[in-house]
Amino acid sequence: MLVSEIHYPRDLLELLDLMRRLPGALLYAGGTEILRQQAGRGVSLPAEVICIYGLPELRKASLSERYLDVGAAVTLAEVLELAGSALPSLLADALRGIGTPALRNLATLGGNLASRDRFMDAWPALACLDALVELRDSGGATWINVNRLRGEDGRPAFPEGGLLTRVRIPLERWDALALRKVGGRDYPGPDTAVFALAARAEKGILAAFRLAFAGQVALRLQEVETRILGRSLPLSEREHRAFSEEYREAAADLPEGLAVQFGALVDGALRLLAR
Amino acid sequence: MTLPFILNGEDVSARIRSVDRLSDVLRSDFGLLGLQSDCRCGSCGRCLILLDGRLVPSCIIPAFRIRGREVVTIEGFAQTDEYQDIVAGFRSAGVENCGFCDASKILSTAALLERRARPTNAEILEQLSSAPCRCTDPEALLRGVLAAADRRSRRIYRRAR
Repeated sequence: MLVSEIHYPRDLLELLDLMRRLPGALLYAGGTEILRQQAGRGVSLPAEVICIYGLPELRKASLSERYLDVGAAVTLAEVLELAGSALPSLLADALRGIGTPALRNLATLGGNLASRDRFMDAWPALACLDALVELRDSGGATWINVNRLRGEDGRPAFPEGGLLTRVRIPLERWDALALRKVGGRDYPGPDTAVFALAARAEKGILAAFRLAFAGQVALRLQEVETRILGRSLPLSEREHRAFSEEYREAAADLPEGLAVQFGALVDGALRLLAR
Repeated sequence: MTLPFILNGEDVSARIRSVDRLSDVLRSDFGLLGLQSDCRCGSCGRCLILLDGRLVPSCIIPAFRIRGREVVTIEGFAQTDEYQDIVAGFRSAGVENCGFCDASKILSTAALLERRARPTNAEILEQLSSAPCRCTDPEALLRGVLAAADRRSRRIYRRAR
């Protein structure tokens, strides 16, 4: 078993310098997903590992009137505690659904978003909330919408060599929020996914509608969302059927069980708007 | 590499390799056999410890990650007044002794009461889901944790006076 060299940067500058010098290094914070998949006695890691859990810049969180900013190495349990009632319930539900309280004391929000194998639980909720992530490299910092962590093929597209430092969660009023974990019991297995929905009405008109579904691949039909916006509520039966059909078609490539559950959830969400 | 950390209140260090799991280091290097390393995926709850006061499964923590941090195992926690509160609370509520999950139930309860002096039933059941076991009726567990919370509050109140 390969013995790795472990590096402990003291601050962000030192970390960025290490990342530049050791491009293949693994950034290790919570590590729950990495170790959960290794049942052997020892731990198998790349030759270079950078331990980022304790970096003060990644452990901060702040709340303003419009945003909640959370450092990438803040644990899921801490996110649930520190934000209190300010945390959008959609995200709180997603985080509470992850593992046990003990696992949530280790797993970090950044780790949940930076997974390259599949989308984890927080992505659909954060996508619906239009959250931003701050990515850093030695050239500086860039904010991108969390939706851009999804490639054109729908699979995770976390940028190689990028460091996720912060997640910015907009704080808005929502009239309808829903989150469902679907699929087999063996989460996160290939036939499991998370469905999230956020909608807001103003004066009987649909002012915001976002729907995300993610497991091995992510579905977010922003062009359909744009066409639904501005319609009077309740949606007519014809509108309901038409949009429902568009979502079903988009889900045709999902595993059969997931496609059926996705169709039923979309149908339920649109039916809610048709009332 | 040499790993300095605080174990059950004492400054210690261990010679570790990057491949070592914390649960294995605690058992083999320090003889702390109150925790087990069975599932190695953080789900069975037999390896729970307090890391900087937080309940965590030590089998999915590589040992290198605890440099400079504070670890409390059931052996260390058993020396505290909080331990006595929990054991007495469990006993009074008829919580079964169980070789599989006793240590994990006690540490789970300790971590919960540290944050919430009087937790709700839902909070208790959620917290104890980290230490799954069928040995005890959930109703008895709820009574046990609440009895432990009462004892803890009374002791802290007496000390404050």
